[in-house]
Amino acid sequence: MDVTITVNGKTRGADVPPETTLLTLLRSNLGLTGAKLGCDVGDCGACTVLVDGEPVNACLMLAAQADGREVLTIEGLSDFQKLSPLQEMFELFSSFQCGFCAPGMIISAKALLDKNPTPTVADVREALSGNLCRCTGYTKIIDAVMEVAARGGATAERA
Amino acid sequence: MVIKVDDALRTDRLAELKEADATAVPAVAREGGRAPQIVPDANKQTPAVGQRVTRPDSRPHITGQTRYIDDLSFPNMLHMKILRSRYAHARIASIDVSEAEKMPGVVATLTGKEIPVNSFGPSYQDQPVLADEKVRHMGDGIVAVAAETEQQAQDALARIKVEYEPLPLVLDPLEAMKEDSPKIHGDSNIYATKVIRKGDVEKALAGADLVMEGRFSTQMVEHVPMEPHATIALWEPDGRVKILSSLGRITLGRADVARTLDLPVNRIQIVGTIVGGNFGGKNEITTEPVLALLARKAGRPVKGVFTRKDEFVSSTTRHPFIMDYKTGVMRDGRIVARKVRIVADGGAYCSWSETTLGKGAILSVGPYRIDHLEVRAYAVYTNKTTCGAMRGFGAPQVCFGYESHMDDIARELGIDPLEIRLRNVFDEGSSSPTGQVLHSVAVKESLDTVADRVGWREQAE
Amino acid sequence: MRPFDYLAPQSVEDAVAALAENGAKARALAGGTDLLVDLKHETATADLLVDLTRIAECKGIEETDDGLRFGSLVSHTEIMDSELVRRHAPSMIDAARTIGAVQTRNLGTLGGNLVTCVPSLDSGPVLVALDAEVTVAGPDGRRRMTLIEFFVGPRKTALQAGEILVDIVIPRANLGKPCSFRKFGLRKGQALALVNAAASLSLTDGKIAAPRIALGAVAPTVIRAEKAEALLDGRAPDATLIAEAADMAVIEAKPIDDFRASAAYRCELIRALTRRVLDEATEQAAG
Repeated sequence: MDVTITVNGKTRGADVPPETTLLTLLRSNLGLTGAKLGCDVGDCGACTVLVDGEPVNACLMLAAQADGREVLTIEGLSDFQKLSPLQEMFELFSSFQCGFCAPGMIISAKALLDKNPTPTVADVREALSGNLCRCTGYTKIIDAVMEVAARGGATAERA
Repeated sequence: MVIKVDDALRTDRLAELKEADATAVPAVAREGGRAPQIVPDANKQTPAVGQRVTRPDSRPHITGQTRYIDDLSFPNMLHMKILRSRYAHARIASIDVSEAEKMPGVVATLTGKEIPVNSFGPSYQDQPVLADEKVRHMGDGIVAVAAETEQQAQDALARIKVEYEPLPLVLDPLEAMKEDSPKIHGDSNIYATKVIRKGDVEKALAGADLVMEGRFSTQMVEHVPMEPHATIALWEPDGRVKILSSLGRITLGRADVARTLDLPVNRIQIVGTIVGGNFGGKNEITTEPVLALLARKAGRPVKGVFTRKDEFVSSTTRHPFIMDYKTGVMRDGRIVARKVRIVADGGAYCSWSETTLGKGAILSVGPYRIDHLEVRAYAVYTNKTTCGAMRGFGAPQVCFGYESHMDDIARELGIDPLEIRLRNVFDEGSSSPTGQVLHSVAVKESLDTVADRVGWREQAE
Repeated sequence: MRPFDYLAPQSVEDAVAALAENGAKARALAGGTDLLVDLKHETATADLLVDLTRIAECKGIEETDDGLRFGSLVSHTEIMDSELVRRHAPSMIDAARTIGAVQTRNLGTLGGNLVTCVPSLDSGPVLVALDAEVTVAGPDGRRRMTLIEFFVGPRKTALQAGEILVDIVIPRANLGKPCSFRKFGLRKGQALALVNAAASLSLTDGKIAAPRIALGAVAPTVIRAEKAEALLDGRAPDATLIAEAADMAVIEAKPIDDFRASAAYRCELIRALTRRVLDEATEQAAG
């Protein structure tokens, strides 16, 4: 079946079998491998993307359910040269190690700051509770989000 | 007791940073943020020591540009799935893949018989690449299928017929040590032993004011790297196989693939890429030889990625340890003798058990000046997930053992737990259990510093 | 996942027709947080998925003559963000907040949670404590029932072949009724309840009226601790009475031993959580 989504501002489509998840559509059909397959059952958050502004597990959404909707993946937050303020802070704090959780974690953090520009540490922990990280213990991830908030909470998307 | 972290610690560091370069310090985060870091311009020459630098991998990670193995794809690539054992211990009577091979999209299958040298392992090569005669835990792979799509490969697994003759299980390592226990390999389930002796432990125990005993056990732990094991194999026109893998030890892996495929090492190219978490669990080959052989059979690249279930059932884990401690102490808290027996539950195959056992044995006595000691450590097979390398290699387990034991001793003698450690801990020039003379020993200073910072002695009053 | 066909009907009737026509081979899809997991693990099979998420009638939260109506496809996040819920049944927000994590709350639906019907479901106790009713639509038309009647057994509801859950209504009389929810899980997030509990009551002349105690994860379905409720009914609340009611709730529950907790531990949780939700509901009623 034909599925059309607006992903990172561009209209993209593919003809996929109905059982295709949004995650598979993004990774295999659209070449957007930023969202990762960590567990495939919505436990780890490595596949987190925004759909109409809300963070969801792309592995638990059928591509068909995303038809006609707006999707933001990690690739849509910036290009390699100019980072969003949120990403700048993750770089400054060296928040990530292996990096596998990073795309999902950053998308969840962006969703939090879009909704609540002045979160408490408890708010950040709750917002990121659906994103698992095995390397870092989360401390510098939380610090980076709090620092962005302290500096005004601005998150700029690529124009 | 409540341990309070001194906020002054954080403020001092911040003041330091502010002095160093006021303009470089970012705003301090509110609500408990940690001290910010100075990040020098990567284009300027700076002395490295004492500096904080940005990680070069931050940028690709945070922009989603990093390519892990599963992000890679080759034209015409096939997908592999592995049929794993239904039983934790069984003989394999027969394997019939004929129905599976007829399934839509299936291009090739592989069984253990087709693997030139069907055994591997970092110390003992006791593990089959694909189980052929016997399965020893439910993570054992038996048949691999390469198909056009993952789902087609998965569907084909259901058509594979394996006849098993179930064997009695042994899941408890202490049971597994007994003469009459079901045997998993060969004649004995005890496959590695380490003994350390120093002085005369029995005599010293006899002369102690008090002898304390305790048993401490730890559980099996799975690394759960965020990235599941992933591998792609393809054959190049020059006759070499190129294997891209999440494997952490590619030189070792290359030797293992050469050995299992019975090919010269110079025919094997292993490409290690960014790994999404290892922690020891990606320290040996898993499906690399399987993918290489499937790719050769199919004439196409083949990719295999572990499911999260595979990660728990088939990939290696941390050894559970059962530790029996017997310590002779004097009334003033001085340890005069220590005996330790360690049983390391190794699961179905050896993997990194020897290293784990050795390290665990050496460290099991603890960082304490003990002249008379004996450690007996055994690695034991059970019909459970193979235990291998995991950060610490036996150290975390024994640390739990000797420190819990020390607290028990302190309580029994009525001595402050910090005090008893200060009385026994290593000094400059102390000798390790295996006779290594230790230098740059700062244990006492470290303990005292922590005690000051958390106000240990004040709170004890 | 194994291949399946997919339909996204726009109306309840179309959805019912598609499900009825295809029988056991068709499954209704809402947020997918349970069904897709089951399909991936092959603990469920389907040749056809009927996606309910485009059905307008199953969406939205509104105040009606009947009370507070939740379309079955309302997400847990929508519940948490709803001003109407905050005003009329804020303990539903407390419950929704404990479900899964942000991502699964955005996808997961109230209806899906109720229809999956695991004994520990978090949206159950508050709705039971507030006497919620559900509307079910099927090939033979629509019917209403209480939530207690809807929950038949573990993973089993009163839904017959071809039926879907359309909405959930908290009766008008219970809007604003004091109610409290507590959950105890092994983690703060992404955790199933070892025990969850809700209590609701009013105070008339200082005496308890219409007491409700709903417990989850301690029986095959969410249950009301009716004997404990009877103990409270018509009496002035105090610490001793509440403790008695909590003890009675323990007796009425049938918790099991499993790998998460022993039955004995669960009994202690029932006692503690029941006391807390009764205390909080009483405080709300008094203040």
